[in-house]
Amino acid sequence: VATQVEPIRYPLPWYRGRVMSWVVSTDHKKIGILYLGTSLTFFVAGGILALLIRTQLIQANTDFIVREDYNKIVTMHGTTMVFLAIVPVWAGFANFLIPLMIGARDMAFPRLNALSYWLFLFGGILLYSSWFATGGAPDAGWTSYPPLSVQSQGVGQDLWILSLHVLTVSSLAGAINFIVTIQNLRTAGMTWMRMPLFAWTIYVYAWLLVAVLPALSAGLTLLLLDRQFDTNFFRPDEGGNAILYQHVFWFFGHPEVYIMILPAFGVISEVLPVFSRKPIFGYKAIAFSSVAIGFLSMLVWAHHMFTVGMPVWLQAYFMIASMLIGIPTGMKIYNWIATTWRGNLQFDTAMLFALGFIVVFTIGGLSGIFVAAYPFDWQAQDSYFVVAHFHYVLMGGATFSLFAALFYWWPKIFGRMLDERLGKWTFWLFFIGFNVTFQPQHLLGLLGMNRRVYNYPDENLWNSYNLISSIGSYVMGLGILLFIANVVITTRRGRRAGNDPWIANTLEWYTTSPPPAYNFETVPYVTSARPLRDLRRRIGERLE
Amino acid sequence: VQRRNFVAVFLIALAVVLAGSWFGFSRIEGVSPVEPASSAAAAINDLYIFIGVFAAVIFLSVAIPLALIISRYRERGLPREAEGPQVRGNTRLEVGWTAASVVIVLVIVAFTLYKGHNLNDPDRSFRTAAGDRVLAATEPGLEIAVEGRQYYWRYVYPNGAVSIDRLRLPVDREADLAVTAPDRDVIHSWWAPALNGKMDAIPGVTNHLQFRPTRVGVFEGRCAELCGIQHTAMTLSVEVMPADEFDAWLERAGDAQPDLGKELFEGVCSKCHFAAPEYAPNIIGNPLLADGPRVKQLVQNGIRQMPAVGRGWSERELDALAEYVQQFGGGGGS
Repeated sequence: VATQVEPIRYPLPWYRGRVMSWVVSTDHKKIGILYLGTSLTFFVAGGILALLIRTQLIQANTDFIVREDYNKIVTMHGTTMVFLAIVPVWAGFANFLIPLMIGARDMAFPRLNALSYWLFLFGGILLYSSWFATGGAPDAGWTSYPPLSVQSQGVGQDLWILSLHVLTVSSLAGAINFIVTIQNLRTAGMTWMRMPLFAWTIYVYAWLLVAVLPALSAGLTLLLLDRQFDTNFFRPDEGGNAILYQHVFWFFGHPEVYIMILPAFGVISEVLPVFSRKPIFGYKAIAFSSVAIGFLSMLVWAHHMFTVGMPVWLQAYFMIASMLIGIPTGMKIYNWIATTWRGNLQFDTAMLFALGFIVVFTIGGLSGIFVAAYPFDWQAQDSYFVVAHFHYVLMGGATFSLFAALFYWWPKIFGRMLDERLGKWTFWLFFIGFNVTFQPQHLLGLLGMNRRVYNYPDENLWNSYNLISSIGSYVMGLGILLFIANVVITTRRGRRAGNDPWIANTLEWYTTSPPPAYNFETVPYVTSARPLRDLRRRIGERLE
Repeated sequence: VQRRNFVAVFLIALAVVLAGSWFGFSRIEGVSPVEPASSAAAAINDLYIFIGVFAAVIFLSVAIPLALIISRYRERGLPREAEGPQVRGNTRLEVGWTAASVVIVLVIVAFTLYKGHNLNDPDRSFRTAAGDRVLAATEPGLEIAVEGRQYYWRYVYPNGAVSIDRLRLPVDREADLAVTAPDRDVIHSWWAPALNGKMDAIPGVTNHLQFRPTRVGVFEGRCAELCGIQHTAMTLSVEVMPADEFDAWLERAGDAQPDLGKELFEGVCSKCHFAAPEYAPNIIGNPLLADGPRVKQLVQNGIRQMPAVGRGWSERELDALAEYVQQFGGGGGS
C-alpha cells in the first residue's frame, strides 16, 4: 500500500509574516512605502477636513460646522497637512529613493530610520486621538498662538503639543539619517556635483530640519509649561511676553515652508529633464540656489508678524530678506523653463504635473512679493489673500510635485505603471479645481474676508467667490478620487514597468522594479550626473 | 503653421494678462482692494498696483515662454529615445535673469519704503489727500484707545466717552488708534480694510495705527486674529463723520451717553447669550438681571465659562449696563 506523503509545511518564522515583516523591517524601501502610505492617508484626512471647511463656507449663514467645531477643524486641517502629510511624504520619497539614487544598499542608520517612521505614525495617531479626548481636538489654529492656546480648555491642546514633540523627534532622527547617508554612502564616482538634484534638495531639507526643529521643541515646551505648570512665559501680567512664542514658532515655521517645498524643487528638477529628453539647464545654479534658499529662509521669520507692531526699520529688514528669496527661486523657474526648450517633450502625467507646478508655484511666488511688502501685508495678513498665497505655494507647490513624483516613481516602487488616461484626468481636474478654488480667495482677501471664520457678510460678491471656491474644491476632490481609483485598478492589472520605463537618468532606474532588498548587484562607476544615460551610450557604442 | 502657433499663443497670453491687469487695477468692485477711504489705505493701494505691474510682467516672462515651448515642441512624433540638444546651461543667460530679478527686487523695495516708511510710525510726517507733506508735530492725531476683548471692541475717546464695536471718527483729521488688549485676554487684530491695514491688539502691548479718513461713510471691518469660539462674531465698523458733527457728538457723549447700556448689551452680552445657545443660556427673564450689584459683579469677574467681560470698565459703563438689563430681569412680572 502506497502511502501518500504530505509535504511538510514549515510555518514562516514570526518576523516574516505578511504584517510582521513590515513592522520589524529596517529596509529603507519598506519604511519609505510605510511613510508614503501613512502620509497619503493623513493627506486624504486633511483633505476631507478641507472639504468640510469649504462646505461650511459655500454660502453666508450656513449652519454646518460653526464656532468651536469650526476652529477645531481648521486647526486639525493645518496641522495635518503640514506635519502629517507634506513633511513626511518627502521623508517617504527620500527614504525610498535616496539610497537608490546614490547607489547605496540602505540608509546609514537603518534602525534609527525605523524609529523615525514609528514615531511619526504614533505622533499622528496621538494627534487624531484628541478628537476623543476631554474637550475634543485642539482649537487654537495650527500656529497655536498663546494666550489663546494657553486658555484653550480640555486636553486637545496638550495632545497637540505632545504629538508635535513626538513628530519633532521623528523628523530630527530622520534628518540626521539623511545627512549622514548622503554625505557618506554615495557610490564610487558620485561627487557632489554628480549627485541627483533631488538628493541635493533632501540634503538641504535635512539640514534645515536639524537647524530649526529645536526652536519648535523649545516653544512647545514653554507652551506646555504655561498650560500645565502655571509658568508665565507668555503671560504679560506676570512678566511674560505673548509675542515671544510667535518669534520662536516662525523661526521654525518659515524654514518649515522650505522644508516642504525644497524636495518639491528636487522632484521637478528630476522629472523635467527626463520628459524633455535633455539635461537639466544650469545644474549648479539649481543646486546652489537650493542651499541659498535654505540659508535665507532662516532670516525672514518675522514677515509672518508684520502686524504685531514692529519698528519700521525692522519691518524693512524682514521685507528685504524675504524678497531676496525670490531671486534664487526665480532662477530655478527660468532654469526649468530653459530645460524644456527644444526638448522632445513627452506629456506623460508626471510631466503635466511638473509643468502645472511651474505655473501655480509662479503665481504663489508672485503673491509672495505682494505680502513681503510690509504695508500691503498689513492688509493681506490673516486675510484670504494670504490663505490663497500659501495654498498656491504649499498646496500648489507640494501637491503638484507630489503627484509628479507619484506618477514618475510609482513604477519603480511597485513595479507597475499607473494608468495614464486616468492620470491625465486627475491632472486636469486637479489643475482646474485648484485654480478655481484658490484664485477667488485672493479676491475675497481684497474684499476684507479674514481667516478662520465660519461666516461672512451675506453679500453678492462674497457669496459668489465663496461658492466658486467651494465648487473648485469639490473638483479637486474628484481628481483625488480618480487617483485612488487609479491605484486600486492598476495594483492588480497595471502594466509591468520593467527597470526603466521612462528612459531616465539616475541610478534608481538601474535596478529592477521593485528593487530587491539589497538594491543593486553592482553599481556602475558614476562619471556624470546622468549615469544611466552614460551607460546607455556606452552600450550603444559597443553594439555599433 | 508653427510660426502662426507662436503668434497665436503669444497674443492669447498677452490678452489674458492685460485683461487681468486691467480688471485688477481699475476700480471695479470685487477685483481690486476695498476702495481706500484714508491716506494710509490709499498709499497701500498704490503699492498694490505698483507691485501688480511687476507681477504681471514677471508672470508673462514665465507664461509666454512656457506656452510657446509647449506648443512648439509637443508631439513631434519622435520616439522617447530621441534626445533634444544637450544644452547644460548658459552663463550669460543665467547671470542675465539673476541680475534682472535683483533689479526688480530693488525697485520694489525702494517703492515700498517710499510709500511705507511713514505709515503707522509715531515720528512720521503725514501726507494729505492732495499729497502735501504735513509734519506730524504740527497736528497731533486724535488718540483713541482701542481695546480688543473676547469678543468685542471697546473704544475710549479722549474725554472718557465709550463706544462698543462701532468707532466714530471725524473726516480729514488724523486718527491715532492706541490698540491693545487686557492682560487676561488673547490676541486680536483690528482691521478696517478701507482705512488701513490691520494692527494686532496684544495683551501687555500698545500699538499705534494711524490714518486720516478722507471720506464720510460707514466702513466695515473685523477681528483678523483667531481669538476663540466667537472670533467670527467679532466684527467692527467705523463711522467717519463730518468734523463738526463728530465734535458735537463727542461733546454730548462726554457728558452723558443715554444709549451706552444698550450698546454694551448688544456688543458684549448678546453675541453669546442670544446667538450661541450651546454655550450661553438665554438670559431674558433671569431675575438676576434685576439685581444691579450682582450684574456688575458678574461682568467684572465672570463665572464658569463666561469670561470677565467687564473687567476694567468704568463705573459709568457698569451702571449703564446694570440699568439697561433691569428690564429683562423681571421674568415678565415687573
